[in-house]
Amino acid sequence: MLQDILVTGLVNGGVYALLAIGFSLIFGVARIVNIAHTGFYMVSAYLLYTLLNLARLNFFLSFLLAVAAVTLLSVICYKLVIEPVRQHEAAVLIATIALGLIFQESLLRIFGGHFRGNPAILEGAVEIAGVSVSYQQLLTLAVVAVVLIATWLLLHHTRLGLAIRATANDLEVANLMGMNVHRVAMLTVAISAMLAAVAGAVVAPLIVVDPFMWLSPLITVLAVVVLGGLGSIKGSMIGAFIIGYAEVLTVFLVPTGAFLKGAVSLSIMVIVLLLRPEGLFGVAFEEER
Amino acid sequence: MKLKMLVGVVMLALGLAMAAEAQQAIKIAILGPMSFVQGENHWAGAEMARDEINKAGGINVGGKRMQVELVRGDTNEIQSVPDATNAIERVITRDKVDFLIGGFRSEAVLAMQEVAMDYKKIFLGAGAAHSKLGLNVEQNYDRYKYWFRATPVKDTDLVRSLFAVLGSIGQQIRTDLKTEAPKVAILAEKAVWTEALVGAAQKNLPAMKMEVVGTWQPSAVATDVTAELSAIERSGADIVFTMLSGPVGIVVGRQMGERKMKAVAWGINVEAQKDEFWQAAAAKAQFVSTLDTFAEVEITPKTVPFVRAFKARYGKSPTYNAATYDAIMILKAAIEQAGTTDADKLVPVLEKIEHVGTGASQSWDKRHDLVWAVGKTAGIAVQWQDGKKVPFWPPQVKGMQPFKMPQR
Amino acid sequence: MRRYTVVPARRLGFLVRKEILVLPSRTLVGVFSLGLILLPWFSNDPYLLRVVILSSIFAIYAASWDLLAGYSGQVSFGHALFFGVGGYGSALLNYHLGWTPWLTIVIGAGVAMVAGFLVGIPCLRLRGSYLSLATLAFPLILTGLLFTIPELSGGELGISGIRPLVRSRVGYYYIAVGAMLAVCFALWKIGNSNTGLILHAIREDEVAVRASGINTVRYRLLAFSLSALGAGFAGALFAHFIRVIGPSTLEVALSFQAVIWGIFGGVASIYGPVAGVFVLYPLTEAMSLVRELSEYRLLIFAIVVLLVLLFMPEGVAPWVRDKLEIRCPRCKVRNVVTRATCHICEAPLR
Repeated sequence: MLQDILVTGLVNGGVYALLAIGFSLIFGVARIVNIAHTGFYMVSAYLLYTLLNLARLNFFLSFLLAVAAVTLLSVICYKLVIEPVRQHEAAVLIATIALGLIFQESLLRIFGGHFRGNPAILEGAVEIAGVSVSYQQLLTLAVVAVVLIATWLLLHHTRLGLAIRATANDLEVANLMGMNVHRVAMLTVAISAMLAAVAGAVVAPLIVVDPFMWLSPLITVLAVVVLGGLGSIKGSMIGAFIIGYAEVLTVFLVPTGAFLKGAVSLSIMVIVLLLRPEGLFGVAFEEER
Repeated sequence: MKLKMLVGVVMLALGLAMAAEAQQAIKIAILGPMSFVQGENHWAGAEMARDEINKAGGINVGGKRMQVELVRGDTNEIQSVPDATNAIERVITRDKVDFLIGGFRSEAVLAMQEVAMDYKKIFLGAGAAHSKLGLNVEQNYDRYKYWFRATPVKDTDLVRSLFAVLGSIGQQIRTDLKTEAPKVAILAEKAVWTEALVGAAQKNLPAMKMEVVGTWQPSAVATDVTAELSAIERSGADIVFTMLSGPVGIVVGRQMGERKMKAVAWGINVEAQKDEFWQAAAAKAQFVSTLDTFAEVEITPKTVPFVRAFKARYGKSPTYNAATYDAIMILKAAIEQAGTTDADKLVPVLEKIEHVGTGASQSWDKRHDLVWAVGKTAGIAVQWQDGKKVPFWPPQVKGMQPFKMPQR
Repeated sequence: MRRYTVVPARRLGFLVRKEILVLPSRTLVGVFSLGLILLPWFSNDPYLLRVVILSSIFAIYAASWDLLAGYSGQVSFGHALFFGVGGYGSALLNYHLGWTPWLTIVIGAGVAMVAGFLVGIPCLRLRGSYLSLATLAFPLILTGLLFTIPELSGGELGISGIRPLVRSRVGYYYIAVGAMLAVCFALWKIGNSNTGLILHAIREDEVAVRASGINTVRYRLLAFSLSALGAGFAGALFAHFIRVIGPSTLEVALSFQAVIWGIFGGVASIYGPVAGVFVLYPLTEAMSLVRELSEYRLLIFAIVVLLVLLFMPEGVAPWVRDKLEIRCPRCKVRNVVTRATCHICEAPLR
């Protein structure tokens, strides 16, 4: 049983981490709580579905097209909807909620309320320590590792990364130093949506594709990033694995309470917040002021 | 400006409603979540019944021929319960319908039942299984007598069908695997409708010479059951006894296939009743089996022609919600027998009706629930084999095929 | 701050003239209230009344959210918790103990208030987005708990068979509309009182408020409790109107609805969220009357919200108010936009 818990928790945590990193990035830089983040993930999963099954393209091409299209969509959304109301915090908030709803309802209208399945990129499963793990789940872990390294390289070894970190640290000073903070914000939105799109393409084969698939990961992602500390990528990673293991432990220890796994992870988030109001690795409030 | 527009829309709607007042047809509201498979089937089944009746000259109401007119009521009940109650009141007061058919999500149907009873309208349920709906009729007959459940049988009767099939699967496993007591893992979504089923399974399975190795209860909308399945695998189960109505059924089917689990899934898996299931589970759900209503087998003489006609018209097979067809046919029979559309006069006629439908032969008990009997309302069992839904139970019905087990 | 003259009750006309008719926004509110009260004389169409009843209930819910989010700046993403607790509380007492709804609604609202107080305590340590996202968790945790005790909560079915407050639709209409007007007026009064001012200040700079010797903990908890009281009351009214209370009242969607109605209408005003509900809810219902639109109504709803925000980022009600009124630069009192001088201090307005 122990090996089941260890392996399954790792796999689940990896999935959550992939989604949480992008969400965390956009909050850290632009201070946008992007409720539509998992909406981009959903759109990507649907695009992949359409390209594969209706346009009958090969997987690699579909993947690239889906990610590119979602990235473009995010920039358009940002320019049209978010930027004009950037100074009104409340308006940004419901703008992203409304965007999520628009994605949901558009997909519902186009594809109907049917459940769909995306094919796995890698078929089959392998036994690790006597536990069956599908290749797709291993791939997710690999993608998480790649995304993490790429994000780290981007943030710490490029000029854009420097600008992003500077903006995240102090928007006004960054602006005064002559950085185009709007462009930085837009680029961050694009990167964040791109990560969501990659997640959509990689994770969707593990789950069911339907117009409401953005809501449940949204809750988990929110729990993960709040737990880890808003805006902290390291925190999101660790938070993802905490939640992943918490869920698996619930299922294994209380099988008849498996439905409680969401409630359990949310309770853990609340408890952590009670002890550390800024999350595990978040920026303390006094600095934010 | 906005207010003006709003008033305009409301006035327009009022006008439309008034224009429709002078009616010559029998108006039947089909209530369902129209953007979802359930609602699509509600509507499709009803359309088939309407066209068939109208082509044959309509319904004979005491010598006067009346056409059937359907009113499409989108309840949006999967997303919002108040929307559902608004929809039912709208079709009653605005569209002035005579009868109500449909419903799916139990929480919403309970709320809609109240509204329908307020207006003393006959409401034929075509989706929700919960006992409470029928219990209301027994406990407060005068108020709730206008409610009848056209499909499915109530949840506690579903259990009977489930155990009957489980017994025969267990027997097959005993001979195939030469084990004395097949191991059963119960995988039931956490919901009130599974409560009685889980309890009954835990109690009865030992008596059926089967061993319960554990009970797992994920949420009906869980998107991942990796942890549950690895625990079930660890328990060495031969049968995964499923009680799933939500999308989690797809995830279970797919992930069981991906893990190449040795256990076979039997039970209720509402998603596996749909044609889209195979695609939704990415062609992984080999040998998943479930209780179902329609297949091209002779449950009644009407089943095969109906399923074929449905497939020809809509390009896929009907789900149990398409029993709106039967519901309209039952109404027609009752109206013609009573010679009126008056609800109070129809209730006693409906109570005594014996109808041979498309997926079942319906008659009602004192709770206005379907009387359960194998070969009549117990339904059929189907298994997914290489992308096809293959019926395998009850064995006495013509057209059944063998049940298969995964490779060991 | 607005000025209030103490007026003897016998001079109601004077009150109306000086307090309501003096400002177009108040006149609008007055006309709106009067319209609602008179509506059943013109139409007793049960469907129309149902839509207005539900709008009124949701208006209470949205306005109570505004007290918490708009005034004290604690933007709750889990307001459905209080709506659900109020509904469940009242329904459970009515169903299991058979108490009259008139009593259970009050108790249900009280239970919600306690819930608000309890949720408020951990939230004291949180601020901004952390608070929003943490509050999102509470209704979902409660949903999990409800599913573990289906004998009591009814699980996914919820509780049905609860008694309605009154049988007649018009009766319920007056209860809902009356409750809405009373609760919203009370909330508005609180918002414009000293308490409201302190809540405003907490939102802008909590440290400064604390430095002025004000116990901000007490005020933040007060905001949570009062807001939960309102939302719980709305939930209880809702339960006895629909006659079913289920886990759908705790869903994220309903929590987000409060945010959408509130911000769409205009926060920190109370009448803003009410306007938000009374524009958006009937609009969505009206769309379902037109067959071609009915299945597109949520999509249109979201697009309308988005477009309106682009032009009125502060919300609809403040936008309308600013078109009709102008603020005196000297004494900060609002005036009709057509006036050249302030009606209080006679300073030139432009």
